Amino acid sequence: MDEWIRQAEVWVGQAESWIRQQPPEQIYIAAAVIALTILVFIAASCLKSSKSNTIVLSGLSGSGKTTLFHQLRDGSSHQGTVTSMEENNDTFVLNSEKERNGKVRPVHIVDVPGHARLKPKLDEVLPKAAGLVFVVDAQDFLSSMQDAAEYLYDTLTKASVVKKKVPVLIFCNKTDKVTAHSKEFIKKQLEKEINKLRESRNAISSADISDEVKLGVPGEAFKFSQCQNKVTVAEGACLTGNVSAVEKFIREYVKA
Amino acid sequence: MLEELLIFTRGGLILWSSCRALGAAALKGSPIDALIRSCLLEERSGDASFSQDNYALKWTFHNDLGLVFVAVYQKILHLLYVDDLLAAVRREFAQIYDPKRTAYDQDFTDIFRQLHLEAEARAEEMKKSKQALSSRPLPPAASHKTDPKARGDSRPNAAKKKKKGKDDSDDGDYTAKEALPNGNGTFKAQDSVLVLPKQGKENGGPNDNGAFDVSKLQRLRKNDRKNNTGAADNGAKKLTTKPDTKKKGKQDRVWDDKPSNKKLDFTDPADERGDEVTDHVAVNQGESMMDKDDNLSSDSEEDEQEVEDGPPKKKGWFSSMFQSIAGNNVLDKSDLQPALKALKDRLMTKNVAEEIAEKLCESVAASLEGKKLGSFTRISSTVQTAMEEALLRILTPRRSIDILRDVNAAKERGRPYVIVFVGVNGVGKSTNLAKVAYWLLQHNLSVTLAACDTFRSGAVEQLRTHARRLQIPIFEKGYEKDPAVVAREAIQEASRNKSDVVLVDTAGRMQMATVELCPNAPSIVSTVETGFHDSSLTILHKLFVEQKLADLSAVPTARLIDGILLTKFDTIDDKVGAALSMVYISGAPVMFVGCGQSYTDLKKLNVKSIVKTLLK
Repeated sequence: MDEWIRQAEVWVGQAESWIRQQPPEQIYIAAAVIALTILVFIAASCLKSSKSNTIVLSGLSGSGKTTLFHQLRDGSSHQGTVTSMEENNDTFVLNSEKERNGKVRPVHIVDVPGHARLKPKLDEVLPKAAGLVFVVDAQDFLSSMQDAAEYLYDTLTKASVVKKKVPVLIFCNKTDKVTAHSKEFIKKQLEKEINKLRESRNAISSADISDEVKLGVPGEAFKFSQCQNKVTVAEGACLTGNVSAVEKFIREYVKA
Repeated sequence: MLEELLIFTRGGLILWSSCRALGAAALKGSPIDALIRSCLLEERSGDASFSQDNYALKWTFHNDLGLVFVAVYQKILHLLYVDDLLAAVRREFAQIYDPKRTAYDQDFTDIFRQLHLEAEARAEEMKKSKQALSSRPLPPAASHKTDPKARGDSRPNAAKKKKKGKDDSDDGDYTAKEALPNGNGTFKAQDSVLVLPKQGKENGGPNDNGAFDVSKLQRLRKNDRKNNTGAADNGAKKLTTKPDTKKKGKQDRVWDDKPSNKKLDFTDPADERGDEVTDHVAVNQGESMMDKDDNLSSDSEEDEQEVEDGPPKKKGWFSSMFQSIAGNNVLDKSDLQPALKALKDRLMTKNVAEEIAEKLCESVAASLEGKKLGSFTRISSTVQTAMEEALLRILTPRRSIDILRDVNAAKERGRPYVIVFVGVNGVGKSTNLAKVAYWLLQHNLSVTLAACDTFRSGAVEQLRTHARRLQIPIFEKGYEKDPAVVAREAIQEASRNKSDVVLVDTAGRMQMATVELCPNAPSIVSTVETGFHDSSLTILHKLFVEQKLADLSAVPTARLIDGILLTKFDTIDDKVGAALSMVYISGAPVMFVGCGQSYTDLKKLNVKSIVKTLLK
């Protein structure tokens, strides 16, 4: 060990004497170049991380996420969809903006499967999300209300969503059907269900198990306006191409 | 006739549908979605086929391009050419597939028509040649080649086997004695009238006979099942009555002419005795472990991206390294075999049942075959990652198991929430029932116990002791009463007393009748010992297979297991395979894990740590 230390000292001494021998301007220039390079790296990484262009589509199985994905990308839902087994991941320019001249920034959209067994996939994509679209089936709402509320609750209490204040759009799909509910009704029902969930998981259970963040204001009924991140509700129908609300949301948070 | 051939991506978009392209009628219901939900996502993609309503489905994957090919046909027709056709379609479609394109109608429809005709022609030729060769029917034993644990599609399989034993002199029906496939042998050989499987093109005769055949099979199965449950009930009744008569007849042996006045029975409803002991406050042993967070180790999803250092393959280490760097290695079944075998052995050392490990490996193989390896990845690491994902998928519950929320929902409706504990003898039902009661009490819910184990001596006293320690009411009616009646009365009593939860203890004798007669749609929790052996697997498989067949029967109240309670978890070190086996067979999530003998030893299942332990 001592030998190594002595050798190292000798080398350092040699390097010092060598540096002293160089003319001073060269040393200054070398140092400046190094500092500039470091600065450029830091600036690039800062710029990159501030503007993520990822939008995540999530929701229960059968709510219409894959159809929405293809509507946004291609303008049609082709021949239909089946239950997704994997996520749909693509970066593209929104179909409605393809005709626009000039530079349009492509959007990275991830359609996460809604099946309960594939829930861990959502956790992988959430950290990079700039916005979240939660798709709800407005026609078949009452039977899936509890599951939808639970899924939404789980998403809203994740640390990655709250800390980064990821905006959430609750998109009520399938409003072209006659028996679809209105978005106000859906909003109220979801708030009620989440309120119940909040009570059963916070008040009664003495220990918060999986919730990373507490939702809402204790003592008051839950409202979406109490969330730290912005939650809005919109409606539309993917099959007929009525997805302007989603596109507006995307444009709002992914600047062109 | 082939009803439909569907090609779709794993992400869910339908690329081509034969119904739409050829203008045929659409399918009734949505069998494809059912296939995905109950089969492919449950890691049963190694199965031969899947049946739903009147349809049978077969599928194949193209793992490299991420495509799935599914063929749907009527269950009663046994088309021989489907596998062939699927393989041919896969080949042709892979050539014209382009990730950017989404409409393949013009190109592919003609190709498909041609392939369909070719496949049918080939199958007919094969059949004709077989007819010429075989002159006598093969003995039925020889044709009994299906895996005895074939799930839910035994009928098409049975029908296919019959092809071998046929005598083709006539055009129509024939009779064969055949043992319907079933691993637990509850179905004995029956006289079944079975139809020669025909190509759909020939006359419509088979359809009628086929329909008759199916209903007769169903009836036979129902009868047999009824007989079996009847036998089980009779057995139970017989045994319960036997000790009765014995007690009456038996008298104390008197030795040495001394009258024995000793009182040997201390099991009187010991009010005086019991009350002294537990005069103090209800037991409070601290927080139940259910509410404690499990300290996860830091690595979570990142595990899957790491390249594992598996054992290097024996053959051509250098060449395989070279290939893996080059990255052009297309996975072949023979490549996967050694890695899969190693994984299967590893799983089996962790006490996973052999059939389950086999099925899992098949499913993983099906999903990896034909895939291109990325560069710098070894086959063993790819297989490991795929297996890890599959295990994670199986163990993640299909629906959330928030019991407290369900209890609250039931409370709002004004009825008590009923949990029935079933399981074989000696696994720890009563002990864990008490633990669950303790946990619920900690959450300020009022609990009632129902002692429906009217068979085992001491069971009621055991529950009574627990009830006294926890200071909760217990509903009991002593021994040798009908447990279903006791359960029903217990629930009525509980709703009268405004109790939130009723925990029902049953005898270890598979008393499914109790469950069926319970009103209020209780939640059934099956108790399983974690350290169980393969032999007990057959018993449990019987339980679940019988339950699955309950779907086929017309009994509307037939119930499936809602949750699993694993007991004696602290005794197994790291042999956690039982959790996987149980979840795979039953499809029910693990609700609780019992890990000790005191009230607080009840935990939730930590899926990630189990997966890690299984693959260590």
